[in-house]
Amino acid sequence: MRRLLKKASRNFLYLHPWQLVLAILGITLGVAVVVSIDLALESSLNAFKQTTQALSGKASYRIIASDGGLDEKLYTRLRVIHGIQNLSPVVNGYVDSTATTTNNTFRLYGIDPLIENSFQSAWQQQYEDGDSLSIMTEPNTVLISRQTAQKMQLQIGDPFPVTTDTGLHVLKIIDWLPENDAGELFKHLIITDIATAQEILGLVGKLSAIDVLITDVQTAKIQRIREALPADVLLMPLNNQIESLRHMTQAFSINLTALGMLSLLVGMFLIYNSMTFLVLQRRRLIGSLRSIGVTRQQIFRLIIGEALLLALIGTVLGIVLGIILGKNLLPLISGTINAIYYPVDHSALIVTPVQIATGFLMGIAATLLAVLAPAWEATRQSPHRVLIRSELESGVRRLIQSAAMLAVLFIIAGLSLIMLTGNNVTLGLISIFLMLLGFALLTPLLTFVLMTMLEGGLSRSSSVLARIPVRMVKSEISRTGCAIATLMIAVAAAIGMDLMIGSFRMTVSEWVQASLQADMYVNLSGNMQAANKSAADHLLKQKLAQLDGVEMLSSVLRTRLIRGDTPSKISVFEINTRSRQGFIFKRSLNSEVWETFNRQNSVFVTEPYAYHQGIEIGDSIKLRTAQGEQSFKVIAIYADYSGDQGHIAMSRNIYQRYWPDLGYSGIGVYAEQGSNVVQLEADIKQLLKPYQTVRSEQVIYKVSMQMFEHTFKITETLRWLAAIIAFVGVFSALMAIQFERTRQLGILRAMGMTPGQLSRLISIETGLMGLIAGLFAIPVGFIMAYLLIFVVYLRSFGWTMAFHFDLSVIFQGLLLAIISALLAGVLPALKMAHTKPADALRAE
Amino acid sequence: MLYKLQTIFLNMIKKPAIEIFQLSKDYLESGQQHVIFKDLTLSVTEGEFIVLLGRSGSGKSTLLNLISGLDQPSVGDILVNDINLCGLTEQQRTLFRRHHIGFVFQAYNLIPTLTVAENLLLPLELINPVSSNDKNKVVELLTQLGLANRLDSYPDRLSGGEQQRIAIARALVHNPDIILADEPTGNLDIDTGKQVLELLDNMVRNVGKTLIMATHSEEVIGKADRVFAINNQSLKLVADNR
Ligand SMILES: Nc1ncnc2c1ncn2[C@@H]1O[C@H](COP(=O)(O)OP(=O)(O)OP(=O)(O)O)[C@@H](O)[C@H]1O
Ligand SMILES: [Mg+2]
Repeated sequence: MRRLLKKASRNFLYLHPWQLVLAILGITLGVAVVVSIDLALESSLNAFKQTTQALSGKASYRIIASDGGLDEKLYTRLRVIHGIQNLSPVVNGYVDSTATTTNNTFRLYGIDPLIENSFQSAWQQQYEDGDSLSIMTEPNTVLISRQTAQKMQLQIGDPFPVTTDTGLHVLKIIDWLPENDAGELFKHLIITDIATAQEILGLVGKLSAIDVLITDVQTAKIQRIREALPADVLLMPLNNQIESLRHMTQAFSINLTALGMLSLLVGMFLIYNSMTFLVLQRRRLIGSLRSIGVTRQQIFRLIIGEALLLALIGTVLGIVLGIILGKNLLPLISGTINAIYYPVDHSALIVTPVQIATGFLMGIAATLLAVLAPAWEATRQSPHRVLIRSELESGVRRLIQSAAMLAVLFIIAGLSLIMLTGNNVTLGLISIFLMLLGFALLTPLLTFVLMTMLEGGLSRSSSVLARIPVRMVKSEISRTGCAIATLMIAVAAAIGMDLMIGSFRMTVSEWVQASLQADMYVNLSGNMQAANKSAADHLLKQKLAQLDGVEMLSSVLRTRLIRGDTPSKISVFEINTRSRQGFIFKRSLNSEVWETFNRQNSVFVTEPYAYHQGIEIGDSIKLRTAQGEQSFKVIAIYADYSGDQGHIAMSRNIYQRYWPDLGYSGIGVYAEQGSNVVQLEADIKQLLKPYQTVRSEQVIYKVSMQMFEHTFKITETLRWLAAIIAFVGVFSALMAIQFERTRQLGILRAMGMTPGQLSRLISIETGLMGLIAGLFAIPVGFIMAYLLIFVVYLRSFGWTMAFHFDLSVIFQGLLLAIISALLAGVLPALKMAHTKPADALRAE
Repeated sequence: MLYKLQTIFLNMIKKPAIEIFQLSKDYLESGQQHVIFKDLTLSVTEGEFIVLLGRSGSGKSTLLNLISGLDQPSVGDILVNDINLCGLTEQQRTLFRRHHIGFVFQAYNLIPTLTVAENLLLPLELINPVSSNDKNKVVELLTQLGLANRLDSYPDRLSGGEQQRIAIARALVHNPDIILADEPTGNLDIDTGKQVLELLDNMVRNVGKTLIMATHSEEVIGKADRVFAINNQSLKLVADNR
């Protein structure tokens, strides 16, 4: 019996291969996007951990200082005076290889080859073979990955020229790096001894960090080291560092994941549509099965079984496609993390069984969820009852009503969730999804109302032909409604994101413009720890001030200080009357902020910093100095969109009281009224070293805005993926709709309607559906944008921005909806128009 | 006898409305060629009433579809009003059908999303934009059928007999010369079937239109001019009442 049952259903499924393919495609695409984002994101985020593990081995703690760097004497002191074992000093930086014409950035990692082998880091494997210790016996020699060298057509013994702030250095390849699973990372790594690294990077006498091996039982050792360290040096668990980076990118990750979920949601509509079609087409078969004694449970299991089979195929394909897609998303995602968070090394896509299993479960769960309604619908089919249209129609009315009621419930739930969840990003996004789903469920009702109104409008016209498309949309509302809802969601998401990005762009643009008060900016770059940097910077500043046409200067030093137990970004400003106007205060105490800022122990913080750290005006921030902790009062909060973690701002006057001079990161040049700016720029260029740049305010503006666009590239890509799935969904729905009315269209053909007239009729219908979707997507898109700006972005990043209305976005959304509906309708329209009428009439 | 000769003579000078030459139709199913019928030849004069008999699956519907241009023959020619359907494009065949053919189906086949009146207006609109004249015509026709009060009803609210009467009205409303009816009483009970046949008889024969009807109903045989049966893939004359 069961076999027979399966056969009956399977034979039927073979009759509709395209709906099967589309259902599978829905699952595949949805799963693929979710899996690819997960893989690419995890791989990018893991790159840092991987790097750390490969280079630091078993080290569990790390000694770091603020940007001033560690004095190398500290290492000797810890070892010799305090007798602390298992320390590994590290000098770390980036160099550009000039060995080939294409510029290649390498991470230069300077190590002490003589340290104990207890760290078991990847580079130490080199020495286990008892081989060459040559990098320490011969200066200016490096290890490089064999693959990279081969790509650059280099051999052992070949010179390897690199440039850094300190100029050109010719290194020599002495051996290959050990083969390692962190292959991608090692492709962009060169290892050398500490002395060489110090020289090349201009860090003579300094260390970047000291790795420390501490086992679980050695808590006393931690205490000992802490006591031995100066006040401005930090002993930090490596895991904490990895964790804090992860924490930093959390909001970014959640937002990306949500974008992936949007694709899965749209994919679910596709599955729902296909399964509904397959169930409705079998109404008669199911009726007959019921009449010969097949139970409701059996029917339910049959449909669910089918869905599971489809889900299985779709999910497996989706995972495979997800891995491929993930490889392509990886550079986009790491690029964005690189641009806004911290440098991520190149990494390969890592696929873990847990991620595969998660993707698998999500695919199956999404399918089952989507198929629940049609499966239930199938069981309600009573044996051999002829369904007459009016009965179906009242059923549909009930369906529309319950959908609308559910919609209201979803929207209210979404709204309350927003109100009640404070600053939680995930719950904020979930509430958006709830509302989106709510609006989707409201679509059939809205369609019904709109079509009834349109029908009323048309009743004055005597043309029957004009009425047919309207009636078709209305009479098959359970199908058309689903297609319209799918399209509406995709378009609303597009409108919402466009409005949000537009508002953000506007805000950032205004902010950049306001911030850029100087005419030109000199970027001094250079390694912060470099011993001679500060002196060189001061000299340069003096020369700049003396140039013809320079009215005044401002400066900034971007560095890190240790606040509590973690490093915090800080910008140290030297401000003049004009650069003050570059600060847009969100909140401030009084009109004397600038006076206080320059003279007392006080700081400003940026809006995201205040948000993430929960800082209010009047609070105090404690920062580590060489003489112990110092307290600084927060006197203002200002707008800053340069990073989503934010930073502290301090006056240079105050900074110099407690911390060593590290020179400048940038100098702003204010030209005298009427001076020749082009000439001035050329003059400045003369004073600069090759790695230093001067750029006009306009160029910086342009570059900043390009960066802005760049960080939204991944968002754009994912949005298009969701749109493509929605398109397939609409296509599948239209195919189903047209197929279901084959006979009706056959009658029209029999009555003398030409193929052209028929396809026009169908196109008008699909265009109408697109129009409804577009019209509804406008308010929904608005709400989305509003929620994205005032809930998600605020909660994620602490940025406030002004809502910027853009009519062209609305117009584009409407157009997108209509065009994609029309496009999706082309094939079904042609197919129906060219079905032989005799065959069409033979259809059920 | 004389009367009979007279009709034969009259039939000879009357124009043939439909001429079918050596018509064959076969189809492919799972790679196999199936022949429905072959070498059918038939000439139908204007105003004639032909009944097609044949057991289920013999090809009655197929033949009607061929005559209306809904389907195309494998071999042979079909001339309707001297137009060879086989020489026409799909578009031309459709336009031909629009003007010359009225089709009545077994399953009524009214457009479910259009009201009764709209169903009747549609064939008219396909020929010319709807005028108030057309509307009057529809009302008049429905009044004749006793269904004037169902003007704005949707077809599924009507009984089978009522629907079939509307379907007949739809086949006639644009004044075609040929009416093809495919088992118009197949889904109706005997009494309703009788009514429908009577209606067809009144509205078609009495105004001189050609009628070809596929049916199983014995009733009709007596009223037809000629009765054919499709049997063993060919057409056999069963009765000639001319
Ligand atoms: N395109 C086609 N594909 C498959 N089979 C076809 C096709 N066209 C016709 N047939 C077959 O040709 C035969 C004749 O069909 P047709 O519908 O003309 O029969 P009929 O005489 O009208 O039968 P009924 O009295 O049951 O209506 C049937 O066996 C049908 O299955
Ligand atoms: Mg038939």
